[in-house]
Amino acid sequence: MEALYPALIGAAKLAFKLLLIIVPLVTLFEVLRYIPIFRRAGRAVDPLMHGMGLSREAAVPLFTGIFLGIAYGAGIIIRVAQEKRLSRRELFLMGLFLATCHAVVEDTLIFVVIGGNGWVMLGVRVLLAVLLTGVLARLWSRHSNEEDSLR
Amino acid sequence: MNEAVPDIPTRIRTGLAAGLQTSLKLFKFVLPLYVVVDLLKGTAVIELLGSLFAPLMALFGLPGEAAFAFVAAFLLNLYAAIAVMAPLDLTPWQVTQCGLMMGIAHNLVLEGGVLRSTGTRGGLLTACRLMIAGVAGLLLSALHHLWGG
Repeated sequence: MEALYPALIGAAKLAFKLLLIIVPLVTLFEVLRYIPIFRRAGRAVDPLMHGMGLSREAAVPLFTGIFLGIAYGAGIIIRVAQEKRLSRRELFLMGLFLATCHAVVEDTLIFVVIGGNGWVMLGVRVLLAVLLTGVLARLWSRHSNEEDSLR
Repeated sequence: MNEAVPDIPTRIRTGLAAGLQTSLKLFKFVLPLYVVVDLLKGTAVIELLGSLFAPLMALFGLPGEAAFAFVAAFLLNLYAAIAVMAPLDLTPWQVTQCGLMMGIAHNLVLEGGVLRSTGTRGGLLTACRLMIAGVAGLLLSALHHLWGG
């Protein structure tokens, strides 16, 4: 099995690279997550969120998803979505945004590790998510859904 | 939002522990996958399956073998996908292309379930993700041609 040796070396190299990314990233997130600047940043993007048909109630689950990812952020996303009683329209809009654009830091970095261009990947995803959500918000008017949000 | 704020050293410890734990969980299937793909690379099986998917992948400027990475990304996650991609010797542009498409559509089963449990239509959103990934891929491919790649 001469082929096995380079395969194992390659696997070990990949593992090492992943370790170098994941551990500092998770640590950094843990250190920074309590800083109030994150909450203030929420206010700064208010106009953009409004343009996508989302209220401030949706900010926490949205940003959790964008940075942490749907799988890791699931606990927070589900809890907030139910507590705040987001309307079905808002839930779907948020879902559409997150479906296109989530876990952006980690997802982008692991492809950069194997040689991809991070700016292109990140830029296209964010742009698509904002555009698609904005367009759907316009098509799906608030009024047709009013009874629903009063529920 | 009244959770107690731990001090910095505690946060660093929590972060390191969580990071290591996540890494170990990933290694369990990333490493075996990498070894399997590296060993199969160049064998008749992969070449046959690769040529089967070649026309589809060619739409996005990718080699047929990249289809395996997409299967891994859709059903499992991105770590599985890059474990499959790493031994394939893709160009930086091809990696970017895969990264964009897979970044949009991955881990569909699990994440579809999460989206659904928030109370929205998970299945529809999952279909949207696949379509958006396809469109984004074609878009980037077209841009690449325009720039003269």
